[in-house]
Amino acid sequence: MKLYRKEGNILQILSFPGETVEKGDYLLVEDVDVGRALIVQVIDVQFASIPGVLEELLRSLPDGGELIKGEDVDPLEVAPHISYIQDASLLICKIRATAEGDCLSPSSSWLPSRSQSTIRKLPLPALLKLAKIDGGLPIVIGGTKDSSLLTIDATSLDGRLNIITGKKETGKSHLSKLLMVNLVGYKATVVVFDLNGEYLSLGLTGDGKRNANYDRIHVLTPSQNFKLALKQLNLHVMLGILIHALHLPGTSAREFRRIWVALKERDTLTLHELGETIRNWNCNQHVRDALFSRYHALVNSGIFTDNVAESTSLEEYLFKTREQGGAIVLNLRNTSSIDRQVVVEYILGKLVECLSNSKLRAVFLFAEEAHLYLRETYWDDIVTRMRHFGIFTTFVTNQPDTIRENIYRQADNIFLFNFTNEHDLDVVSRAARVDAETVRSIARDLPPHHCLALGRAVRDFPIVARVRALDVKTMGETRLFFSSSAG
Amino acid sequence: MDITLPQQFIELSMESLKQAPDRWFQLNQQSIQQFNNLASHEETLKLKHEPLHLIPSRREKTVSAVDTSTIKIGETNTGIIIAIRGANVWKQRKRYRYVRFGPFIFHVTEENKRQVFETLERAYFSSVHEQARQGAPSILQMPMRIASLLERWLQTMAAKTMKNGLMLFDGSLTAGTAETPTRRMREILDSARKGQNVVLAFSKVTNLRANGHRITELLPDHEPPFLLETEGLKLKPPMVLLGEIYVARLAKANLAFRLDIDKEVPVESRIEAVENLLGNDLFAESYPETLRLAHILCTFTANEVLAMQHFVTRRFGLQFVNRPDMHRLLFGMFGKGEGYQ
Repeated sequence: MKLYRKEGNILQILSFPGETVEKGDYLLVEDVDVGRALIVQVIDVQFASIPGVLEELLRSLPDGGELIKGEDVDPLEVAPHISYIQDASLLICKIRATAEGDCLSPSSSWLPSRSQSTIRKLPLPALLKLAKIDGGLPIVIGGTKDSSLLTIDATSLDGRLNIITGKKETGKSHLSKLLMVNLVGYKATVVVFDLNGEYLSLGLTGDGKRNANYDRIHVLTPSQNFKLALKQLNLHVMLGILIHALHLPGTSAREFRRIWVALKERDTLTLHELGETIRNWNCNQHVRDALFSRYHALVNSGIFTDNVAESTSLEEYLFKTREQGGAIVLNLRNTSSIDRQVVVEYILGKLVECLSNSKLRAVFLFAEEAHLYLRETYWDDIVTRMRHFGIFTTFVTNQPDTIRENIYRQADNIFLFNFTNEHDLDVVSRAARVDAETVRSIARDLPPHHCLALGRAVRDFPIVARVRALDVKTMGETRLFFSSSAG
Repeated sequence: MDITLPQQFIELSMESLKQAPDRWFQLNQQSIQQFNNLASHEETLKLKHEPLHLIPSRREKTVSAVDTSTIKIGETNTGIIIAIRGANVWKQRKRYRYVRFGPFIFHVTEENKRQVFETLERAYFSSVHEQARQGAPSILQMPMRIASLLERWLQTMAAKTMKNGLMLFDGSLTAGTAETPTRRMREILDSARKGQNVVLAFSKVTNLRANGHRITELLPDHEPPFLLETEGLKLKPPMVLLGEIYVARLAKANLAFRLDIDKEVPVESRIEAVENLLGNDLFAESYPETLRLAHILCTFTANEVLAMQHFVTRRFGLQFVNRPDMHRLLFGMFGKGEGYQ
């Protein structure tokens, strides 16, 4: 390999046949004289611009477009040299760091010698060691191309905002489960908004047996094993539900506050009493109608109950996970859009309440396709205010444009799966810890189940890994019409 | 076709390269692929105005074409490094096939040029012709001489192998020059005739003039394809014309070429041969495709020049040093490089 040119933080390297370098590989450009080396990553492999190649290709085609057949008598054996030159490739590399001894710095301000520098592949284990990507709480993400393991530190997710994105069926949920299970293993509290019922069997192995996490996975299905008594809710959370999920106007919300306070004072905070009070409350008829329609929505959701025995205490589940770690999976699979929002409002309100009272240390929140249940104002809230309370969110989506640009800008880690759509790639490339060229070039060619890890977890060295298998029961598979049993 | 190359050619190529000194200079890509087709002639040439109208004949004929090319790939302190390649293309049953020979790379110096040339002559033709004996060519003429040698050998092999076909040569059938000894060209034409072949030589460029005008530019207003006959051309000895000269416009493109057809072939057969060519080959810009392919296949591309330089560097340990461009050096931005001299 030969150093060809440098433009900004892009290095172009000429590579010859036999030097197998692929997109995503790391190279070490070492200038021994100055005792420094550049760590660069190949983001694209192109044909080197060799003069005369077009003529070479064209002359093998006569008018008919069919290859002309013939024999080459080449006694000096020059032909292999022609192929050697023709097959030379140009590696477009992004400078990731400068290595000086064992120290890494993000600098790319110096220029290695073109004639004296040696260029060699930097095996990923060596890079991981150099960049100190391991840590005390390892999470093995999967295998890299050169058969080493990509292990990140669980602390790199702590206090961070993460995004897992990629097109359908590339393995996003699988990685999300893997992170979740590992966090639970480190006694973390995890809350999952499970839109498609994919996380329900995390406590079971592939063949349906209980695994080590069985007792730590708590699946709550609204209106089934997740019901709430009004007494469990505080006014702030209830108003959040009414205003944000059920779009109750401000005037009506003020009346509702009065009703709620009155009921609480009388210690009669039940659904039945709430309905009766609204009916008899002295207020404008429109306000009454507005309150009644929301009341019926709450009743019809099936989430609320007057039977204290069948109500669920979210705090209890959260406290259970506080000691031994655990995951609370909110199964939103068969829940209507409104009810989903009611549940999410309640959960987020409750989490903030518990965290602000220091009843919990922190919570890792995994939100699948959050745009389907997260209200507009929560996006900013989650990445700013709630993060300070201790809610560390991981967004999982196959529609990257549903996540706001400011979320990308503040994302600390991005786990990117395959995308082919330019628009999707554009959106993801807005992340502050990512450069657009890397995203566009590498993400487009990622095979299924391979992810490009970007950000703090990999110390800003983008690394491609095949996400390792997880022995949990698969759920959330798409129901097919033409299934094999149908035939 | 016999494609066994004399071993001596290869040995000579290798041997000459081994003698190259350990420093050499890269050439600024000056190509010397085209042969000089200028033949001194008396201004007695006349062009007949009545064209010979041609009707393409679909009778199956094998069309064969030979071409060679040469390029200087580097300079040393003592000489030049050149590469030579030849191609024989033939069209048979509507399919094109080719055999390509080379590249052969030679290091030619003042000391070895005579030996190189004579050794090759003997190796190919078992004899050295008179002109070669009279004096070895200059170093700059050597690439064309060696290429010409390879071309004559390829033509000889084709003439001896092919039966009842059409043989297309690049250039004219003028003999008696250093590159085309009369006896050698006669032998090639004789061999071709023995195999019932007709030799047609196309010149891409000609300096022949009639009434002061280039003969290929004096085209009558006549629907192609047609031939224009010439008469009265007399060459200074020892040059001789072994072909009858025509101006050929064979397709709608407004291009015509000098076409030499073996003189010994009867007039009717000459016309028939061109008609057979029209019916058996494709014509792009009035030029036969088989000959065009032969030219394309033997021409060196920049990529191949790089590869050959890589070859000699690796195989013989020669180092490249860029020769300073004197024009650039002396005249800066006003010096357009030596290639523009």
